[in-house]
Amino acid sequence: MFFRLYFYSIRQTVRQKLIMFWSLIFPVILGTLFRAAFGGFMEEEVIFHQIPAAYVAEEGASQTFAETLKSLEEDSELVEVLETDSGKAEELLKEEKVEGIYYNRASDIEEGEKVTLTVTKQGMSQSILSSILEQYQRVFHTMGQIGRENPSGLKAAAEVLGRQRQYLKEGTISETPKSAMTDYFYALIAMNCLMGVSMGLQIAVGFKANLSDLAARRVVSGTSRYGMMMPDLAAKITIQFLCTVFAVCYLMFALKIPLGNKFGFILLTTLVGSLVGIFLGFFIGAVGTYKESVKEGICVSCMLFSSFLSGLMMGNMYRFLENNAPIVNRINPASLIVKALYSLDIYEGYEKYTQCMVSLLVIVAVLGAGAFALVRRERYASI
Amino acid sequence: MAEYVIEIENLVKRYKELVALDHLNLAVKEGEVFGLLGPNGSGKTTAISCILSLLQFDKGSVKVFGTEMQPDSYDSKRQIGVVLQNVAVFEELTVQENIDYFCGLYIKEKEKRKQYVEEAITFSGLENFRKFYPKKLSGGLLRRLNIACGIAHKPKLIILDEPTVAVDPQSRNRILEGIQKLNREGATIIYTSHYMEEVEQICTRIAILDKGRCVAIGTKEELKAMIKTGEKIHLEVWELKPEQLEEIRRLRHVYQVDYRDGMLEIRCSGGKHNLVHILDYMTTQDISFGRVYAELPTLNDVFLEITGKELRDSAE
Repeated sequence: MFFRLYFYSIRQTVRQKLIMFWSLIFPVILGTLFRAAFGGFMEEEVIFHQIPAAYVAEEGASQTFAETLKSLEEDSELVEVLETDSGKAEELLKEEKVEGIYYNRASDIEEGEKVTLTVTKQGMSQSILSSILEQYQRVFHTMGQIGRENPSGLKAAAEVLGRQRQYLKEGTISETPKSAMTDYFYALIAMNCLMGVSMGLQIAVGFKANLSDLAARRVVSGTSRYGMMMPDLAAKITIQFLCTVFAVCYLMFALKIPLGNKFGFILLTTLVGSLVGIFLGFFIGAVGTYKESVKEGICVSCMLFSSFLSGLMMGNMYRFLENNAPIVNRINPASLIVKALYSLDIYEGYEKYTQCMVSLLVIVAVLGAGAFALVRRERYASI
Repeated sequence: MAEYVIEIENLVKRYKELVALDHLNLAVKEGEVFGLLGPNGSGKTTAISCILSLLQFDKGSVKVFGTEMQPDSYDSKRQIGVVLQNVAVFEELTVQENIDYFCGLYIKEKEKRKQYVEEAITFSGLENFRKFYPKKLSGGLLRRLNIACGIAHKPKLIILDEPTVAVDPQSRNRILEGIQKLNREGATIIYTSHYMEEVEQICTRIAILDKGRCVAIGTKEELKAMIKTGEKIHLEVWELKPEQLEEIRRLRHVYQVDYRDGMLEIRCSGGKHNLVHILDYMTTQDISFGRVYAELPTLNDVFLEITGKELRDSAE
């Protein structure tokens, strides 16, 4: 009985052209458009190169920062420093031959605080130059403070800070070349997972006799409601998962989007994401007695809004929310899927990934429990 | 098997202020074709939904095959076939797949199911459309598919809720003949309709519903015997004086006379040779007349006399 109904549900769903377009074709089209739009940027950033920066030091300025830059240039090959005068540096910046200018002015109080950075635009390179300066100033400030308060501990502090720098360097720079544009593709995968809402809605509508005649016919049949619902649920999850797998494979292998090298975990994430999509639709379908068209509208709105918050339309949305309303990122399914995929790519460990997956599974459990409780009602006040 | 397949006692169903079923009492015997006749909104579909345990009701009880009907009465449900008012099939499955899907909700054995599906296809005359999708079928064929999905598993009790709405005469006749055939094969049928001709044609016993109440129940002969009208005589008369109209009204067995637009309608309560007496009067009075015909009372007359309104008008 289960497999017969399962295969009928598969057959019935894949013959729905609209559903299959949104779940299977649309993500492929959108992914292709993203690739065409971001292609140039991605290639530029994926092939990592040293960031050219000008260094202008006034007479009498400390050499500490210059030495730090030299170390970053020679040891880490992170920056390419051109020591020059102020006029030439500004000319180079104007011509975009350098990404920023470090000014080291020999004036007042404490060294370190005299170094400034000038940039003319924002981007990954400028962010790295800014991070270098911030880290330098933080270390310098700390050392200055220890020197004033506990000069004998300077040596030990230098060792600790040295280890910290080493640790930070290893922790933040991924082995995989990482592009900011990849986030858009993560958001696209998240949206693809959530497109399961339409299929989830169909499950609920198909068993609520007060919403459809088909449901009434099934409910009065000789098979229990759950006996019919489970194969339907399993079939819809299978289709949604396969659609998402197809999209991921297309992005990774046809469009060559660097989504990371943990393919198995990526698929696991899309499976859980598909569960969220299906159960979200199932839950919306089970709540209230609104017409199916109204519920369809609610489902699509939820899916699009969730995707918007995850950064599908605006790349810095995740960071904006993290600074202003972090709770949204903790409960928004699309953001959690994006973060899970991002964590797989960036971090060596699985702690953050596991956190995201647990959150997603909790959402699935809550939505599923709610939906089952609502469709469990078997007699209606009106039909 | 209980003598009564369905027993409804004191069933009350309210939609806020509206009383949809008002202390309804019905009992359907095994082997009957039981008709539920009434205008739209009389409570027929609500009664069916309560029997099937789809609707909550405020009071009363519903027993099917001798046991109280509950949403999880799967043993009873397996013996019931339901054809709902609106077509309820999967648009994405073919005719054969749809019948197989619904039959499979009752019949687990593959071979038996295959045989039943074939029989249902033949029964509904859909042999040439088995690979068609529902949207490619005409209204009549779609209704036949709807019925095939409801009866494929050979249920003992078949509930058909207005199965011939918006159906062409050819399909309608086929459906009605099919229902009678199912009954001959042993199924008990509950048939709801607001088409009195259909109910008269196929039902062995009829309950007339109005405003959620059963206003009359019995065979069609019993129902017609309940009312005063025994015969209706229509005459096409071009001119009739008021005193002549009054004299006709005083003729034996005549209890109501209407003269409108050149048509004289005379209602007689029982008696024999009423037409002869009337024609005799017309001849002696030298009243010219054209077409003449007499008819026995219909269920519409029964409904009219009991409720004071036309079944047809109420149904519109």
